[in-house]
Amino acid sequence: MSDLIWSAIAPEILLVIVASLVLVVEVWKRPPLKSMAWLIGAGLVGTWAAWFLQFSRLQDLMELGSPGTLAFNNMVVSDGTAVIAELILLVILTLGVAMAWPMLDEVGRRSAETLVLMFLATSGFMFLVASANLVMAFIGLEVGSISLYVLAAIARKSRLADEAAMKYFLLGSFASAVFIYGVALLYAGSGSVSIDALAVFNGRIIISPGVLYVSMAMLVVGVLFKVTAAPFHAWAPDVYQGSAAGVVGFMAASAKVGGFVALVRIVGITFARFEVDWRPALAAIAALSIVLGTLLALSQTDFRRMLAYSGVAHAGFILVGVTAGRSATEAILFYLAVYTVQLVAAFGIAAAVSGPTSSGSPFSSYKGLASRSPLMAAGLAVTMLGMSGMPITSGFIGKLGVFRSAWAQGLEWVVVVALVASVAAFFFYLRVIVDMYMRDVDEDTAEVPDEPRLAGRLAIAVAVVITILFGLYPAPLLDLIRNVVS
Amino acid sequence: MTEIVLFGIFGTVAIAGALSVILARNPIYSALGLMSTMFSLAVFYIMHLGHFVAAIQIIVYTGAVMTLFLFVIMLIGVDRSEDTAEQLPNQRRIVVGLGLTIAITTVVLTVGQNFKWVTAPGSGPANWDANAEATNGTIQAIGRVLFGADGAERTAGWALPFEVVSLLLIVAAVGAIALAFFRPLRKVEINPTETD
Repeated sequence: MSDLIWSAIAPEILLVIVASLVLVVEVWKRPPLKSMAWLIGAGLVGTWAAWFLQFSRLQDLMELGSPGTLAFNNMVVSDGTAVIAELILLVILTLGVAMAWPMLDEVGRRSAETLVLMFLATSGFMFLVASANLVMAFIGLEVGSISLYVLAAIARKSRLADEAAMKYFLLGSFASAVFIYGVALLYAGSGSVSIDALAVFNGRIIISPGVLYVSMAMLVVGVLFKVTAAPFHAWAPDVYQGSAAGVVGFMAASAKVGGFVALVRIVGITFARFEVDWRPALAAIAALSIVLGTLLALSQTDFRRMLAYSGVAHAGFILVGVTAGRSATEAILFYLAVYTVQLVAAFGIAAAVSGPTSSGSPFSSYKGLASRSPLMAAGLAVTMLGMSGMPITSGFIGKLGVFRSAWAQGLEWVVVVALVASVAAFFFYLRVIVDMYMRDVDEDTAEVPDEPRLAGRLAIAVAVVITILFGLYPAPLLDLIRNVVS
Repeated sequence: MTEIVLFGIFGTVAIAGALSVILARNPIYSALGLMSTMFSLAVFYIMHLGHFVAAIQIIVYTGAVMTLFLFVIMLIGVDRSEDTAEQLPNQRRIVVGLGLTIAITTVVLTVGQNFKWVTAPGSGPANWDANAEATNGTIQAIGRVLFGADGAERTAGWALPFEVVSLLLIVAAVGAIALAFFRPLRKVEINPTETD
């Protein structure tokens, strides 16, 4: 059994071990959250070490001229895309746990379950991004998604939260059913569920059976739902507004990374042969997401709803890259890396402003935030500029990358739509900054925000550094991605 | 011949059961109808050499899921009358419209040239992948595939997905405890504007 390459799933194994330990320790000792922090910290360090092990193995392989390795009977692949996506997921988990700490404090004994679900969700999405087999992809997707459904309901104390959790669960399960139906049809039509073998099959057939088109559409729709692309975005604003504030950034960010990397693999490898068929469809969905997300974000009165609609627009921007096929993988990974970090930071600050288990975060709470909490205001201002794609921030480099890939593939019209929408989007991002710095505090409605703890401050600082540093000097991150994603 | 007779019997039972699910007035009859449909499906699986799937179908659906359904029905109350008022306006029209669209698309695509719903016989896995074998759903065959002993060389088989499914069970258990086992939040502060 030479295909048991443990390093290929090392971070996942560590995450599962930590989650199991947390469960056992919680039942056995019921430690206070402060003691649990040591276990979580050690677990995160261990997972990072496991990731470095996997990364160094990959680099060894690349020196020998191999793009990566398949493991466990071709179920998972340890290639550049998987390793970089796992790095992004690990960063999201680390920042997410740091940002969620005030919420963990507030949910009392449910904090252990929250941490376990965050770790298991990350391991599920890691299996998804590393999968070389559609069944493996589906199981990873479900482990991740079901953990997120529970996280959405973890601190429910208002009807908005109940509504969010229920909507997310029902619509998410429906999307998963569509995805697995697509996998089943694909198997019926071809006799395989391996991503690479299907690419070979699709390359060899002479006629194009309809079952392949139907299954391709179902797979793509199932994944697009998870990444909140329009017209499959209807759940996102309610979920992002209603779910527990402390974890919603983690939820939004990790689902996006998992979904987009799976999408790149499915359309870029399995269905590469049918490029002419999926490209116009994805381009149309990208344009629709960008336009709809931007227009609806303009008219929101709640910060978290606005972030949800801006997330729809961002899903569209990343889809612009996906339409270019596999050649855009580097650009997509860079975009995901910088955007998801900003997303976690922005939701984390929203949680600090409106309360860590709150549902909703109205704009009025942000008026005059700069005078109350300069650190949070500065952090939020930088992340907003980063999300808007302002030059000198990493958001600009990310947008540039995906637009250039799409332009090179002759999709000029989508790029033009995206550029116009990016300019319009400045309005709602800047409105937050204007509220924070140029308006007076509204004494009647604004609550005094909880100043984030040390871990939260460090997480904000990391997001700010990533946004500005990789905007001014993106070479290190770009090189890291380019060196392993061939 | 036996297969045709069995198919006739259980096909009729399956359809009758499915019809009773939506037509029966008493929810218990609906549940029993669903059970007979599930059972008939298990018989079809055995006809196609899917012994394992057939057993799972009976254990999981006919056994566990139906028991759960009956629990729920009993909890809600058997004699509670159903609210038959239409909740969504125009729902019927939309459903008929969508159904017609799918039917017309199917006909157009099938009649159209160079388009087949499934790959033609002989173009399946055996033809493009020399290592693939005919599908066999007996328990022995599934065991061999699961543990990677079906080829000349031993592999990990489907052990990894099988193990990862156990994570799903952990998530379900943790989620059920976190959500159903109610423990009040440390600071209970309910914003009056959010609740009513």
